[in-house]
Amino acid sequence: MLTGQDIHKSFGKLEVLKGIDINVKAGEVVVLIGVSGSGKSTLLRCLNFLEMLDEGEITIDGKKVNHKTDDLSKVRAEVGMVFQHFNLFPHKTVLENVIEAPIIVKKVNKKKAVKEALVILEKVGLSDKADVYPNKLSGGQKQRVAIARALAMEPKALLFDEPTSALDPELVGEVLQVMQDLANDGMTMVVVTHEMKFAKEVADRIIMLDEGRIIEDADPETFFNHTTNERAKQFLEMVNV
Amino acid sequence: MPEMLITIYEVFVNTYEGFLNAMLLTLEITAIAILIGTVLGIIFALMKISRSKVLQTIANLYITLIRGTPLIVQIMFLYFGITSIIILSNFWAGVIALGIHNGAYIAEIFRGAIQGIDRGQQEASLAVGMNRRQAMRRIVFPQALRRAIPPLGNQFIITLKDSSLVYVIGVSELFGLANREAASSFKQFETFLVVGFYYLILVMIFTSLLKWYENKLNVEKS
Repeated sequence: MLTGQDIHKSFGKLEVLKGIDINVKAGEVVVLIGVSGSGKSTLLRCLNFLEMLDEGEITIDGKKVNHKTDDLSKVRAEVGMVFQHFNLFPHKTVLENVIEAPIIVKKVNKKKAVKEALVILEKVGLSDKADVYPNKLSGGQKQRVAIARALAMEPKALLFDEPTSALDPELVGEVLQVMQDLANDGMTMVVVTHEMKFAKEVADRIIMLDEGRIIEDADPETFFNHTTNERAKQFLEMVNV
Repeated sequence: MPEMLITIYEVFVNTYEGFLNAMLLTLEITAIAILIGTVLGIIFALMKISRSKVLQTIANLYITLIRGTPLIVQIMFLYFGITSIIILSNFWAGVIALGIHNGAYIAEIFRGAIQGIDRGQQEASLAVGMNRRQAMRRIVFPQALRRAIPPLGNQFIITLKDSSLVYVIGVSELFGLANREAASSFKQFETFLVVGFYYLILVMIFTSLLKWYENKLNVEKS
């Protein structure tokens, strides 16, 4: 579904990704973990070309993407992204946030877009907030709108970049719940997170990055209980699981 | 003191018809100059933040040249310099000079406002499949515009007052007329006091319109 081969990425002299191979199957939930600076967010951003890789190859749904010649907007329209800081459009209502891309990018007519948006908002539990501006929402609600906005494009896969890191602790649950529902519905997801409970319960596979390399790639059971990798052991001790 | 007040009153009464016409001319000059300046400002701001080095250089050159020379020189240059190539009436020479002059300042206002919008807004737009142009037009620019309104308002008020400089090429707007009235009546003090009053009124109307618009935007948002 979503594969990256030998991905290299440097920022100036700092090599952040040193040859990453990743393969996400349709319907799979992959959780990326690692200490900060390990390259997990950069990898995620490379997967939908918010960062351009220096070397390597990304294939989406069987199609190789050439970031120099392909229309990246089309690629990004197929792979949704949810950001740590939500990045909702503050000058638009919740509903407008959700229908913006379908109307502008997919040229869906407004009536149809609104109808579909309301269904999605219902799914994330926010249909009563459709006409509210984002600044009136809690962090958890904002993130759920951001998920709805990504879903409105009917993406083939969804990328989550630390979706709960900017939230107050009591609001984390509602966002994770929505993500879990999505996973149950069969959405293909790649999630960068520090929520180990979520990783344990929802992930099909855990990938751990360290200094720009994948050092562990295993199912949660194996990863949390039987990893033989020293760095992974250290990390698990640090996060207390 | 009462005599002075009486003279001021006389000047006011004797000149107000002329000044009302001149005020309309001032407003006309200002409005067209603001329009030209805003269009140029948006174009050059976009050029300056574009990824093309050529466009950036052109924009930088424009802004440096315009900000580096006095408006009065630009007015004179356009009226006397360019007229050897194309004939421009003094009105249009003045309006265009004022517009081009403002464009440079407005470009910087827009550039600052656009760059002040969180990068996450553009990223979120790209992430849902918009191209850069759509992201700018639909998401980044509307937010930047809101942020630009207070400094733009300031710039518009400066334009209104700077429009007085076109008197040097013989346009009879407020200041041009005041200058002539003062010279012919020898009542310099009273005449300039009266014309100052007209400018003050215009600026106050302008300011309250801007306040109203800003409030309107704020109410809409919340």
